Amino acid sequence: MLVETSGLTKVFGEIRAVDDLSVAIPDGTIGLVGPNGAGKTTFLRLLLGLLRPTAGTARVLGHGIDDGVAVRERIGYMPEHDCLIPDMTGIGLVSYMGRVSGLDKDTAMGRAHDVLQFVGVEEERYRKVAEYSTGMKQKIKLAQAMVHDPELYIFDEPTTGLDPRGRKEMLDLVRTIAQSPGRNVILSSHLLPDVETICKHVVILDGGRQIAAGDIATLLIGEDRIRVDVRGDRDAFVRQLRDAGYEAEAGATGVRVARKPGVEADVFRVAKALGAEIRYLGAEIRSLEELFLELVERSAGGTK
Amino acid sequence: MSISLPTYTRREGPLLGRGPRVRTIVVTGLRREFKRPAAIFAIGIGTAITTITAIVFVLLAPFFLQGQPLDLTFFYLPASNLAILFFVTLMASVVGAGLIADDLDSMALTLYLSRPITPADYLIAKAAILAPLVSMISVLPLFITPLLGLLLGLFPWDIALAAMGLSIVVGLVLTAFYTSIALFLSSLTRRKSYAAAGMFAVTFGLWIPAQVFASPGALDNPSLLYIAPWEDFLAVARGAYGVSSGPIDWPLALAILLAATVLAALATYLRMRAVEVVTG
Repeated sequence: MLVETSGLTKVFGEIRAVDDLSVAIPDGTIGLVGPNGAGKTTFLRLLLGLLRPTAGTARVLGHGIDDGVAVRERIGYMPEHDCLIPDMTGIGLVSYMGRVSGLDKDTAMGRAHDVLQFVGVEEERYRKVAEYSTGMKQKIKLAQAMVHDPELYIFDEPTTGLDPRGRKEMLDLVRTIAQSPGRNVILSSHLLPDVETICKHVVILDGGRQIAAGDIATLLIGEDRIRVDVRGDRDAFVRQLRDAGYEAEAGATGVRVARKPGVEADVFRVAKALGAEIRYLGAEIRSLEELFLELVERSAGGTK
Repeated sequence: MSISLPTYTRREGPLLGRGPRVRTIVVTGLRREFKRPAAIFAIGIGTAITTITAIVFVLLAPFFLQGQPLDLTFFYLPASNLAILFFVTLMASVVGAGLIADDLDSMALTLYLSRPITPADYLIAKAAILAPLVSMISVLPLFITPLLGLLLGLFPWDIALAAMGLSIVVGLVLTAFYTSIALFLSSLTRRKSYAAAGMFAVTFGLWIPAQVFASPGALDNPSLLYIAPWEDFLAVARGAYGVSSGPIDWPLALAILLAATVLAALATYLRMRAVEVVTG
């Protein structure tokens, strides 16, 4: 397991930033999503050993988070906010961070050149960080996380502040790292399409608690509902299904009907009666965004 | 843009320990300071003036102290040089004030603490950047004085050696105090100018009022001098070099300096742990 937590809790005053969180995150590429204030960054900082949990335990790559130095030797962390040392050059900063991670001087410098070429800052590597654009700063942040070749990369909102081209470049880089053998990625983002295109697993947090976790493809298939794309009078179609005892609602991408025995036959019967045409009938495939909103609404309802 | 991972797959060798990591921060920090004009000025002018003054003291010693034996007590004279007070404060302000404040301002603290080092390692590294620079003013001139006196044959070797040893001890007390206070003030703010102003406030804001109120024309209470770090240092120097007369006792003054040093270091450590939470 990449990360295992048991009852992990972090309280700041009266705020429970992480609340009794027990997760088992498998190796691979994992998305960590949640609304603002969900506890994502606090959770990541707990994993890095930068914060002490109020309660509970966690293990990262087999090491307890109380052994922060050992954990951080195996992690490359790309923070969300600007954090670079402005008066250093790109190559100087990346090799410096390599040495602070324990690499010897020559290895750190060699790898700094390698990773800067990888992220696409080879031409500007001798310029001072203060002169870099936002996109280049993000790439330097990525490079410093890579320089000591960690087993686990933690990217906290890596596309923040990037234009569409920069965002695509950054996602390509993250995807390349994620697809490399022996490397694991935790991608924290509120940009759900980013997570959906890169990650295989997802952990969804809200209010410091896990509200869903698992394989993304499995989570996106709604097992309790079917989706029907119908050409014809959709409102009448929904009405007649409700009259027949089904929970049905018209959405932007079709009609969703609660799964019950015999529902498929009844859908066709109602369509035939209305003279409507069924274009699709099958499992509901939601986007991560739809799933996320649904889960957050459900979570908010549960809290109330 | 090249989208290909670097050729290595895993680390070729084991990572170096925490000692080399801390040394990297120290060496890189010192290099950065020696590239900053303000730091170069403070280091150059401060070291030059205090050292030259110390040499002048030695050269003019026979004239200064006519009729007085040239023994250990002579070395209190260069130690009480006000240039040391001013330039130690200046050095702590110019170099020390930004050591943590700059990292807080740029949020590079997160970058450091996400590496495999502890907050204590980080603070030790920062202290190790400032302390050698401060000691160029607080230790070097005091050390050079007896050395030069020995080379010129003005002092017997046993007195000169004792004075050199005492100079290191006395100078290190001042170095430790100013290093600790500078880092503490630097950890309190993102603006190094505030921390720099704080250094001058701690030095002169305590020393001048203490002098004024302790004087016979005012409260006439020499105990007030204990609140001034410089007066405490002078008392320690008097005790070390065997100067008998002084308004305050050196053991208590030494205890105050050391306690302030330790408390400031402890407070800085606790502050660092709290700051990490805030920057998230």
